[in-house]
Amino acid sequence: MPLLILLRATYRVAWKDVVGDWRRRATLSSMLFFAIAVLVVFQVAFDPDRQEATRLLPGLLWATVLFTSLMGLGRVFQAEEEDGGLEGLLLASVPRGVLFFGKWLGNLLLTVLVELLLLPLTLVLFNVDVWGQLPALIGVLLLGTLGLTGLGVLLAAMTQTARSRETLLALLLLPLTAPLLIAGVQAMAGLLDPSLELGSWMRLLVIFDVVYLALAPWAFGWLVAE
Amino acid sequence: MRFLTKIQLPLVVLTILALGVGLWLVLTAPADYQQGNAVRILYVHVPSAKMALLSYFFVTLVSALYLWRRQETYDILAEAGVAVGAAFTFVTLASGSIWGKPMWGAWWAWDARLTSVLVMLILFMGLMALRNALDDRIKAARATAVLAIIGAVDLPIIHYSVVWWRTLHQPPSFAGPAKQAITGELLPPLLAMSVAFVLLGAALLVLKSREVAARRQWEAVETERLEQIHE
Amino acid sequence: MALLTVQDLHHAFGRHRVLNGVELSMEAGECAVLLGSNGSGKSTLLALLSTRLRVQKGHYQLAGYSAAQQGEEIRHRLLFVGHHTHLYGHLTPLENLRFFADLHGLPPQPATLAAAVAAVGLQRFSEQPVRWFSAGMRKRLALARLLLFQPLLLLLDEPYSALDVQGVAWLNASLDRFLQQGGMVLMASHDPERLESLPHRLLRLQRGQLSDGREECPC
Repeated sequence: MPLLILLRATYRVAWKDVVGDWRRRATLSSMLFFAIAVLVVFQVAFDPDRQEATRLLPGLLWATVLFTSLMGLGRVFQAEEEDGGLEGLLLASVPRGVLFFGKWLGNLLLTVLVELLLLPLTLVLFNVDVWGQLPALIGVLLLGTLGLTGLGVLLAAMTQTARSRETLLALLLLPLTAPLLIAGVQAMAGLLDPSLELGSWMRLLVIFDVVYLALAPWAFGWLVAE
Repeated sequence: MRFLTKIQLPLVVLTILALGVGLWLVLTAPADYQQGNAVRILYVHVPSAKMALLSYFFVTLVSALYLWRRQETYDILAEAGVAVGAAFTFVTLASGSIWGKPMWGAWWAWDARLTSVLVMLILFMGLMALRNALDDRIKAARATAVLAIIGAVDLPIIHYSVVWWRTLHQPPSFAGPAKQAITGELLPPLLAMSVAFVLLGAALLVLKSREVAARRQWEAVETERLEQIHE
Repeated sequence: MALLTVQDLHHAFGRHRVLNGVELSMEAGECAVLLGSNGSGKSTLLALLSTRLRVQKGHYQLAGYSAAQQGEEIRHRLLFVGHHTHLYGHLTPLENLRFFADLHGLPPQPATLAAAVAAVGLQRFSEQPVRWFSAGMRKRLALARLLLFQPLLLLLDEPYSALDVQGVAWLNASLDRFLQQGGMVLMASHDPERLESLPHRLLRLQRGQLSDGREECPC
């Protein structure tokens, strides 16, 4: 099948999810407010001074991103529930991997949008002056988000018809993303403190992304093939 | 399934004998000059850790076979393997923790092995929870098979990321329980217990598989009966 | 060799056997109506033919493509309109059709999409989200996909439900044109009278097997 057709189908699935979300003002706003709420919880729970806040920043950011992304992932396949949407998707003549990439791209866009708002907000709320590192921090966050959403969308498909699926999704996603959390936090710490290691953590992030984005389309195909 | 029924009794008898011999060797072996009597915990800890890993490997294998061949037998074996694996993983963590308290002065240390085993336990729990949460038997079989494979890919990544984390971030303060050198006197009880645990694992797998198969058959019969009443 | 061949098709959900050796062959331009009581396996057969369910035992080929290995090729050549309309409520009719076209690798032609919306009498609502549509309007829009391309096989599950008199007339006219152009139609329906003058044969699904539909079963 020509690449252009595959790309157009991927784009259309992602477009449908993002536009749908925008029109219903559903996921984006609730993700953002949830993220702010988590930040407030951290501030109240740890009450860090400036120095502590700089040290805690990577962990706070990643924990917030992880919890927030759970919220978005819980809704990825909700749009397919109305009037047999998933059945319709599976009748498409493009390969199932394309459907996965479409769903993934849509979720990635929403998650990245939330992160782009979240990062500066965190720096302001925690009073951490690392604005010079902002682009690099965003870079690390994006790199981790690729794999996080890749694995997350797959698990969302897996738990779509399950009872109490949001709890189940969290139970499955959190342990599996342990390497991502470790690498992401350490890489950010390495950015903020040049004496710490950075390169190997970036490599680990890339490995995680590549492994899951290569595996997930296949796994999705097995998952939906009745 | 018929094959499992046949080997069940000899396997169980053999397991009990092997466990008896193993435990006798463990209890009569001399105490370690460094670890004292705590070393005896390792005779349970090390074989159960190996069996936990082996169980996960087995679950991954039958899951892949299920996705390939779509035969329910593989799914029954996977369901049974998860239950057996979860039990071994729990024993591994509990025995490691009991050993760690006198040796390290702490119940828990975040070293690579313990962390990976903990994640493995959560994965086994996740596999059980996912199966229970899906009403459609075939969907549940597919979803758990895919999850098992995802987990199998993730476990080494988790292991190495924790190793790097511990070595790059702070030097390892503890050696894991299994890292002790195994010398002359320790070997016979360890070998005996390893054999006994392999047999135990096989016996539990057979018993659990038959239980799962019987439960499914009963459910099918029940459903059919209800359908007939309905008609 | 016929354009569509089904040989010895079996299907079971767990231990519950639904299809038990279905045989079917259809030629270009042929229309068949599938009869059978509730739970006789009509929807299962349609799902198998649409490749939504995978073939467990037996063979199914469309235009020489086998369902076991070439599902994408078959999906590329068929249209399935079932109980679900596969429409997204927050998208407009045009957007829904464009979604369908892109997922079936059809060339993007805005004029074709607009013409299809107009043909089912929904042009007045083309800017409104489908969420507000009635069941009949949704059904029309789902069927409008037939105007976007010329599939080999059209699978319909109770196509006349929710359609008004005009809708039925439009559908029959479209089916007629579709059959004239060499398409095949297989529909599950409880009232084959709705086909009116369309030439068709009747098939009856009973105890998991297909037979000539004119032989009424004693049940």
